[in-house]
Amino acid sequence: MSARGPYHTDMTLEQLLETCPDYAKDLKLNMSSVLRQAELTERQTWGTAVCSAIAARNSRLTEAVLAEASLHLGAPALFAAQAAAAIMGMNNVFYRFRHLSGNPGYAAIPARLRMQAIRTHGSDPVDFELWCLAVSAINACAACIEAHQGVLREKGVTEETILAAIRIASTIQALATVLDAGRA
Amino acid sequence: MLGVGEKFPSFSLQATVSLEQGKTFQKITDKSFHGKWKVYFFWPKDFTFVCPTEIAAFGKLNREFQDRDAQVLGGSTDSEFVHLAWREHHPDLKNLPFPMLADIKRELCASLSILDPSEGVAQRATFVVDPQDTIRFVAVNDLSVGRNPQEVMRVLDALQTDELCPCNWHKGEAVLKAAV
Repeated sequence: MSARGPYHTDMTLEQLLETCPDYAKDLKLNMSSVLRQAELTERQTWGTAVCSAIAARNSRLTEAVLAEASLHLGAPALFAAQAAAAIMGMNNVFYRFRHLSGNPGYAAIPARLRMQAIRTHGSDPVDFELWCLAVSAINACAACIEAHQGVLREKGVTEETILAAIRIASTIQALATVLDAGRA
Repeated sequence: MLGVGEKFPSFSLQATVSLEQGKTFQKITDKSFHGKWKVYFFWPKDFTFVCPTEIAAFGKLNREFQDRDAQVLGGSTDSEFVHLAWREHHPDLKNLPFPMLADIKRELCASLSILDPSEGVAQRATFVVDPQDTIRFVAVNDLSVGRNPQEVMRVLDALQTDELCPCNWHKGEAVLKAAV
């Protein structure tokens, strides 16, 4: 079965969720409710799903989410959500190292890593921050979580909105780990 | 000479952009590449010795500059017709992928203060300008010494590795405004 949008996937998200093992039924049911919540805009919801799927590193889930998201997101938001996953994949390692190293000396040395996507992603800045936060939550970078959460709160985003995005990230990360568990 | 931190001057100049009939000249202003980085490099005179090598070298790196959202713009005080003749005449310049500005009234070079006092033509000056039109790098060589475009690329790379992520915060510092 091919995707309804421009992104190819072997299975739609709905079909893929049907393959979820019984012991993970909670995840399957959570997935539908976290995507249907009212706290996030449609763009925030699906952008969060996209960057979370990429961060969660299950290719079938990522394909299915991208295909589904492409029906809800314009090209700029789709691009930006993927960019958030890409750049935070790097920053979550780098800044997590600095934070965990116990050596404040590293903060004085320039990172020398390009991260122009944070400036040039072309989408809504608040949405992008939310996506960066979701990826940071999955990648467990404490410094990044604190920093991006701070920016969002400073911009007036409510705790309810932020948590709604984290619910999506949590569910997707969990699904990514179990979806292949039953396969040969 | 204008320095780092100053705004690049506004200008409106004819430029030689291609050898194709009917598409050779184009008016270019400081706003033509709005939102991109700009690499402006000036040379003293068309049809002289050192220049074609470095101009062609910038040309070879043009795609890598474009990858870094940077538009290369060459220029001298020659007219757009002299630029055209030079490009037609010199094999290394025929397919130059970036515009050659014609600062024939010397207004842009004068605003940048790069006119050589004894020769009256542009010195070999290079400016890297950010998307907000602020000069971030300036270099100028004496008339007979060519530039190394790889070095300009290295500088652009370094300028573009600003730590834009709030993850770079230290506790207690003022809250960063997110990049626009």
